[in-house]
Amino acid sequence: MARNDRPLSPDLQIYRPQLTSVLSITHRLTGIALSIGSPLLVCWLIAAAAGPSAYATLHGFLASWLGLLLLLGWTFSLFFHLCNGIRHLFWDAGYGFDLQTIYASGWAVVAISIGLTLSAWIISFGMEG
Amino acid sequence: MIIKSSDQLPSVTLLKRFPVPRNFGVVPSSRIERGKTWPAPAGATRVKKFEIYRYDPDSGKNPCLDTFEIDLDICGPMVLDALIKIKNEIDSTLTFRRSCREGICGSCSMNIDGTNWLACTRFIRDTAQPTTIYPLNHLRVVKDLVPDLTHLYAQYALIEPWLKTTSPDPERERLQSPEDAEKVNGEDGKGPAACILCFSCTSGCPSHWWNGNRFLGPAVLLQAWRWLADSRDEATGERLDNLEDPFRLYRCHTILNCTRTCPKGLNPGKAIASIKKMIAERRS
Amino acid sequence: MAHKETRSPFDRTQGLGSAREGVGHWRMQRVTALALILLTLWFAASLIARARSDYGAFIQWLDTSLTSVLMVLLLIALFYHMALGLQVVVEDYVHADHIKMPTVVVIHLGCFALAAAGIIATLRIAFGR
Repeated sequence: MARNDRPLSPDLQIYRPQLTSVLSITHRLTGIALSIGSPLLVCWLIAAAAGPSAYATLHGFLASWLGLLLLLGWTFSLFFHLCNGIRHLFWDAGYGFDLQTIYASGWAVVAISIGLTLSAWIISFGMEG
Repeated sequence: MIIKSSDQLPSVTLLKRFPVPRNFGVVPSSRIERGKTWPAPAGATRVKKFEIYRYDPDSGKNPCLDTFEIDLDICGPMVLDALIKIKNEIDSTLTFRRSCREGICGSCSMNIDGTNWLACTRFIRDTAQPTTIYPLNHLRVVKDLVPDLTHLYAQYALIEPWLKTTSPDPERERLQSPEDAEKVNGEDGKGPAACILCFSCTSGCPSHWWNGNRFLGPAVLLQAWRWLADSRDEATGERLDNLEDPFRLYRCHTILNCTRTCPKGLNPGKAIASIKKMIAERRS
Repeated sequence: MAHKETRSPFDRTQGLGSAREGVGHWRMQRVTALALILLTLWFAASLIARARSDYGAFIQWLDTSLTSVLMVLLLIALFYHMALGLQVVVEDYVHADHIKMPTVVVIHLGCFALAAAGIIATLRIAFGR
């Protein structure tokens, strides 16, 4: 029968990180990061509804170095989760399961999400006040 | 960087393992300790080191990692040849499963250099220095490289892997068109019926690591698809009812370690997506 | 002393039988994902365009019918998708039923509350606070 006194063979401790598992866990981590950031969106709307002083306090935090760092993290999380999410939707429709497409689309997601993050920030800094 | 088939080896290794502590989440009785080293014979020129997981149930000790140095000039080309040589000439207590030595029986599946493959079809020249050999992941270890597959076989029995019909038996065979047969056998012979039940995929699936008691895993789900896709089977609805469960099927998050590691080049990830599509289709 | 397992391996894999459901959750996760592709791209583009704007410009933007409708749709899709996603994460890693089940309930209630708060704030801005 099942013997629980036998040792368990190692798994995460020794398995090789591959594009498959690394992008999958990144998709989950960016999703969790976005979930943690979503209350901020609600706070932002509530602050906007409350008036200019409440809004200014929130904006002050967002413009600080910590706020900007968090926003950078959230922007990357958003674009990565969005691009990889689209990749997931193609899989759900049944397309793209051969290894070559899995790998090519995976690298494309990494490149596009980094590209979108950088573009978003560069364009934002270039915007007229 | 683009992998075209599962037998292609990665050209670059950025990380050999995830950056977690060596004994992350491991109970004290499963912790792996340092083992013995068996040096190569004198005068050996092409020396290869093998670090192999050892566990002796009769000793009462923890598992350990033994290092064997092999002279490749007097060894066969495959990892299984090295294991047999170690057992014959160095340490006869080394225990592992093996049979056909040609990649068709599925006995010698194990974790080699961090990924699961068959020892008899892995060339030694394609392995790292040292080559690390562990049993299949997250399974109870009977001895050395032999995992307890009882639970996996029980999960396989759960999906009732046989033809289920209600219509009366015909005079001769139940007929099947070549197109329908291709769904089961695959146009390149790599359809779900070609699975050798080596369980490399299931033991490489993180979702099966965390929820293996309830999640069926890629090998079993690939076989479930084999019967769903078979035009001669008449119990499709019943099979889908049995599978539609948040844990049995829906713990699959399309991680795709399974398709990456299959030693026979099969595609369990795609089969599982087909099962999910079938379930979604029957309610719209 | 190791616990002696008396149930047969087959009986243990049977568990409590198949739940015969799960596709609803799977489908809504994908439906909200499709909605979110368009809505988040709109939201990100709108924020980038107004990256250096002041409070008045934001209120002017949020005051229009189209923006209010899209913002409400974004909040609904976002928090529904988030609740479903976090539920799956908890089910994956938490196995003790007495912790897992209340946590999933709290996640759903929390997301509903955040969505409600965000929608009301949006409507307050739209209807002139």
